[in-house]
Amino acid sequence: MASEKLNMIEQFKNLDILKVDRRTFLKAVAALGATSFVSIYGNQLVKALEFSETKVLWLHGAECTGCSVSALNATAPDFVDALSALNISLVFHETLLAQQGIFVDGKLVGTSDLNAEILLEELAEEGGYILVVEGSIGNGPDGTGKINMIGNHTFKDIFAKTAKKADAIIALGTCATYGGITITDCATRKYCDFMGVNQTENKKGGMMQVLGLNKPVINLPGCPIHPDWFFLTVAAVLLGKIDVSDLKGVLDSIGRPKVFYPPNATLHDNCPRRGFYDRGVLDKRFAEGGCLWKIGCKAPYVHSDCALRKWNNGTSMCMQVGGPCIACVEPIFPNGAMPFYVETESAGVLFGVNLGTISALAVGAAVVAAGVHAVRRINKEK
Amino acid sequence: MSSNAQKTKTVERYNWLERWTHTFHAIAMLVLIFTGLVIYFGWDIMTFHNARLLHMIMVPVLILTNWCLVPYGILSHGWQEGGIKGIVRHFYYSYIFNMEDFRRLKGMILNFFGKQEKYPAFTVYNQATGHYKTKLHPMFKIFIVVEGMCIFLIFITGIVLYKVDWAFFGLPIAYWLTTIFGWFSPILNMNGLQFARWLHLALTYFFIFELICHAFILEFDSKVFKYWKSIFIDGKEYLDSPVVEVINEEEHH
Repeated sequence: MASEKLNMIEQFKNLDILKVDRRTFLKAVAALGATSFVSIYGNQLVKALEFSETKVLWLHGAECTGCSVSALNATAPDFVDALSALNISLVFHETLLAQQGIFVDGKLVGTSDLNAEILLEELAEEGGYILVVEGSIGNGPDGTGKINMIGNHTFKDIFAKTAKKADAIIALGTCATYGGITITDCATRKYCDFMGVNQTENKKGGMMQVLGLNKPVINLPGCPIHPDWFFLTVAAVLLGKIDVSDLKGVLDSIGRPKVFYPPNATLHDNCPRRGFYDRGVLDKRFAEGGCLWKIGCKAPYVHSDCALRKWNNGTSMCMQVGGPCIACVEPIFPNGAMPFYVETESAGVLFGVNLGTISALAVGAAVVAAGVHAVRRINKEK
Repeated sequence: MSSNAQKTKTVERYNWLERWTHTFHAIAMLVLIFTGLVIYFGWDIMTFHNARLLHMIMVPVLILTNWCLVPYGILSHGWQEGGIKGIVRHFYYSYIFNMEDFRRLKGMILNFFGKQEKYPAFTVYNQATGHYKTKLHPMFKIFIVVEGMCIFLIFITGIVLYKVDWAFFGLPIAYWLTTIFGWFSPILNMNGLQFARWLHLALTYFFIFELICHAFILEFDSKVFKYWKSIFIDGKEYLDSPVVEVINEEEHH
């Protein structure tokens, strides 16, 4: 198995990446990972893109900026090298750009070189960019979007304005894709009404539907996203290996690239601790060294390539360091994944009572009933 | 022959095929429940691989008995009773809980609580035709239909658990099933795959519950205890039993 994988990697190291079909390209991307892929094919990528700079407009909604941090933590190539290799002009990124929103007497002043608000307006007017949305979009209270203000605009309006002229939209991180942490069940959830770009939790539509927009959207969930997922998706789009006007075959039913979130495999299949599961070594407490399923690992229900790609420059991942998977790439995150350290089958379903308790009560009642019935019938017989 | 003499006559309640079908069905169910729990709880009783292997062997046994032999039994009995009409009539009277069964069940409950002297007969044998009009305990009629649906559900959830991309002649069955589960799973705040696993476990528990009800409430009764022997060994029916009513009708209506 390992030698097959090595052979496959070797095979993908000698491609003419500009001539291969989409399937081979995606296979190469999946097999090599961003690190190797961009370093091997960097020159070819630059050659392919040298006449076509692509603008990326990166917005931040309701979020923690963790996805930006994760992207900035990319190594070999790092964030700047990747942008350079892919000939990306990052025209707007609130936490990285130098400009600020400057108002005097309530009016915007200066130029786009200094004023972020003016820059964003000009870019939105020009269009022709890939819009990256990090964070969910507030729709509350009562559809105003005022729960989520940036400067003197609602983020809902900023998204509406920029999405209209975008060539494609990449929803980055679980907040932007499905709502994520910002839609955690709580007293204020309905009031805030945070939404994903085109889906909120399991409900399709999201803010795109509210605004009546129809643009190609690629969902890259994760809390945070893996840098590879972002850069390789962008590379595939720029090289035409993903045709944004026809995403059906590339994305799964909830808008994620199948190559990173494989529908035909779960994270559990490739988990480094899988051997313990197969031997029935199921940890009851943390740090026992076995399979983490019984302490809430959601990997058996999760589609992602974390276990193959790994994190932190390909060195480790959640389960490897003893942390059960919390299903952060799934639309159910976090509500359906909580309690994080309790297995799904043991989580409360009916008035907070779990399946095991309900079943134990039912089986216990049946045993008692059987006993009573038997005694009663025998007495009747007498 | 006098009426009493006729009543003491022994007839066949379960033929050999029904007895073997039931036995294999029971073995398959018990092994599937046990090995399923071994896999789920990680019990040290047997290795994961052996549990999984046994589980996978018993799946076709259960499906063969439940989806092939049981329907064959229904069809063949019904056919003997009168072609297509006989099949429909046999299925309705033998397996569907109807008003008569409701009255019988009500009588049984009243009898249990001492409010009715006579325990209602639930097996009705027609001496004129030589066939049963109805055979099963009314409670079991409810269980048998629910069980059939549960077997179907546990089978399709099992497909997804067995292989998340299982396909049959190129048809992505597991993918379709996961998608369908995904329509219902948000009710429990789960994704499709999560729901499939949860439902598979819930149905396992249901089968344990049903097994106790079926074997120890319905059959753990001095009046019907002999049916244990009948279903597993000799297949005999004693028409003088208090739970059997013998009628003499030329044709069922």
